Amino acid sequence: MTGPLAWLLVFLALAIVFVRRRSIAVGLVTAQALVLAGIAFNQAGTGSEVIASVALVTRAVALGALFLLVVARSREAQPVRARVGPAVRAGMAVALILALTGLVPHLGLTSRADERAVLALLAAGLICTATRRATLFQVLGIVLVENGLALAALEFPRTSPLVIELGVTLDLTLIAFVATLFHLRIYAEFGAGDSGVLRSLRDT
Amino acid sequence: MTLRQILAVAVVDLPLLITVAVAVAPVRWVTKLSITGAVATGVIGLTLTWVAVKDAAHPIAGTWLVIDAGGALLLGVISAVGLASIVMSGPFLSGVRHSFVGEEHRVRFYYVVLFLFWALLLAVPLAGNLAAAWLLIEATTAASALLVGFNGRRHALEAGWKYLILTSLGLGVALLGVAILTAGVRGSGVDGLAWRRLASFGSGSATALSAYLLLIVGLAAKIGWAPVHNWLPDAHSEAPPPVSALLSAALLPAVLLVAWRCERALAPIVGIHTTQRILIGFGLLSLAVAVPFLWRPMPLKRLLAYSSLEHLGVIAIGVGFGTPLALAGVAVHIAGHAVAKSLGFFTATPLIAHEPRAAQHFVTGIGRTAPVLGSTMGLSLGALSGLPPSPLFVSEVLILAGGFESGRSWAAAVAAVLLALGFLGLAHTTIETVIGEEHHRHRNALPGMGRVTALGGLSLVLLLGLTALGPWLPSSAFVSALARGLP
Repeated sequence: MTGPLAWLLVFLALAIVFVRRRSIAVGLVTAQALVLAGIAFNQAGTGSEVIASVALVTRAVALGALFLLVVARSREAQPVRARVGPAVRAGMAVALILALTGLVPHLGLTSRADERAVLALLAAGLICTATRRATLFQVLGIVLVENGLALAALEFPRTSPLVIELGVTLDLTLIAFVATLFHLRIYAEFGAGDSGVLRSLRDT
Repeated sequence: MTLRQILAVAVVDLPLLITVAVAVAPVRWVTKLSITGAVATGVIGLTLTWVAVKDAAHPIAGTWLVIDAGGALLLGVISAVGLASIVMSGPFLSGVRHSFVGEEHRVRFYYVVLFLFWALLLAVPLAGNLAAAWLLIEATTAASALLVGFNGRRHALEAGWKYLILTSLGLGVALLGVAILTAGVRGSGVDGLAWRRLASFGSGSATALSAYLLLIVGLAAKIGWAPVHNWLPDAHSEAPPPVSALLSAALLPAVLLVAWRCERALAPIVGIHTTQRILIGFGLLSLAVAVPFLWRPMPLKRLLAYSSLEHLGVIAIGVGFGTPLALAGVAVHIAGHAVAKSLGFFTATPLIAHEPRAAQHFVTGIGRTAPVLGSTMGLSLGALSGLPPSPLFVSEVLILAGGFESGRSWAAAVAAVLLALGFLGLAHTTIETVIGEEHHRHRNALPGMGRVTALGGLSLVLLLGLTALGPWLPSSAFVSALARGLP
């Protein structure tokens, strides 16, 4: 993978952490998934790698369409306020990225730059899930983490078996689908897709 | 194909077939079809367990299928608890007035998802490679999250959401560990990730340690080990009681088996002391976090959830000690915990009908107003507290003895103190729950009480049998096979 592509993926990840509107975030995460699929197509040398690339494109398009449908079916008067402001979120994500790239040893990817990009996507996904109250943004955080894992799978010197890649893609899509079902139920029950209201079960 | 392989294929395929059958059958057949399918699946699962335990010295270790001592133990637990959960689902469903889906689809939806969850769970201990195990565990998350949120009320949605998000993030972290191992093992395709091949990882011990840590931390989120256990009390307390039983008694130890297999596979590269210390650390931390909650008055199902945190911690410590004594303790503990814990969750259905406050509050004196129900709860809670002659007392003694035997006296001593504190807390709760202050309650018919009574009698026999078996187990061929692991 080239340096500009790695930077593009990291930039998209940070933008997802930063933005307020769900529809923009869905667009960004879908664009990121499509960039990954493009990288996969570019690197595909065997029939099974082409099939895996097609699976990545299908996942990107299917999840993007699903999330946009969910946004349309759970309209909110104003965006759910995050626990912390956008600048602080982005700062936290950058700090976690720097910490992970400094602390995590060699992962076995083809270059250290690729490893940093993977860790950046994981860090951005974790921060997105942890600092957002909007349930859809928490799901997008998981998808960001999944995109980081897909990048790792692409940049290892040896490719993963096709059956595993397809299984992982199917599993993670299934999780995203179940999460959107929960989002819609939470929206119907509470009037907002806000995880801030899901705080009644506590042992103080 | 050998008999064991045929049974292994059947025990996973049959519940999948029942899932499809329940999805398309007329509504009036759904419950009967489910019970029939559950009995058939349970019988196949327990038969395979019996055959595999008898032949534990000769495990099957293929790329896709593993049948060994540890897997047989878990398969038996998952088969038995799954069967009992489906038997207990009828009384639970009869009292449901609100759910995730509309009333006309409620029963069908419940059984379809439950059978799917059970089928995936049955496949976990049989998975022959790390990637397949990960895929199955991740798939159980999707199915079981729907069951946790089944009643569709606010608390259930909250619990289901936390469970889905936290365990998915954890499994994402574990997947990075799988990916690192994929890149470094010898062998092509899935074969490289077979349990027996992971030790061929050639990218260095530091990278192997990174992969092991990512795997264990990620799986810990699903096992419910502290400090990544936040979803556990909520999910277990809000899920339907039969699902809570399956989650606590079967899912958590099944995922722990996968962590155990990772530990065994990577120990030659990372170093056995390092891999074991990490498990002991998680175990002690889980015990330390759980014990204070066992002293507090809380609703039965929430108390049982914190008890799961305690017992999964004990099992982690036993696996970490790794001696035959400790592993015998682990085997008894997994089986005894499954019997006592599932019985405890099954009592929740008649308990809430008898005392509706029990859904959200600590209740006392149940044995005074409903003697059979109170006795059954007493049996479950007493066994879980480790009150002799509970098999969990025997298993804890074996694990602690194994700790001293392995030279980890400090860890065994800390565990002993924490277990003693946990015992006192839960024993106090048991006494209060069964014969504490009496409240006025209607003595009406309780849903599922007949089935709970029958399961209580069966559980008593099983628990006493496990207690008797415990002292003989360390020198058995079964524990030798557990200690040897996969060839």
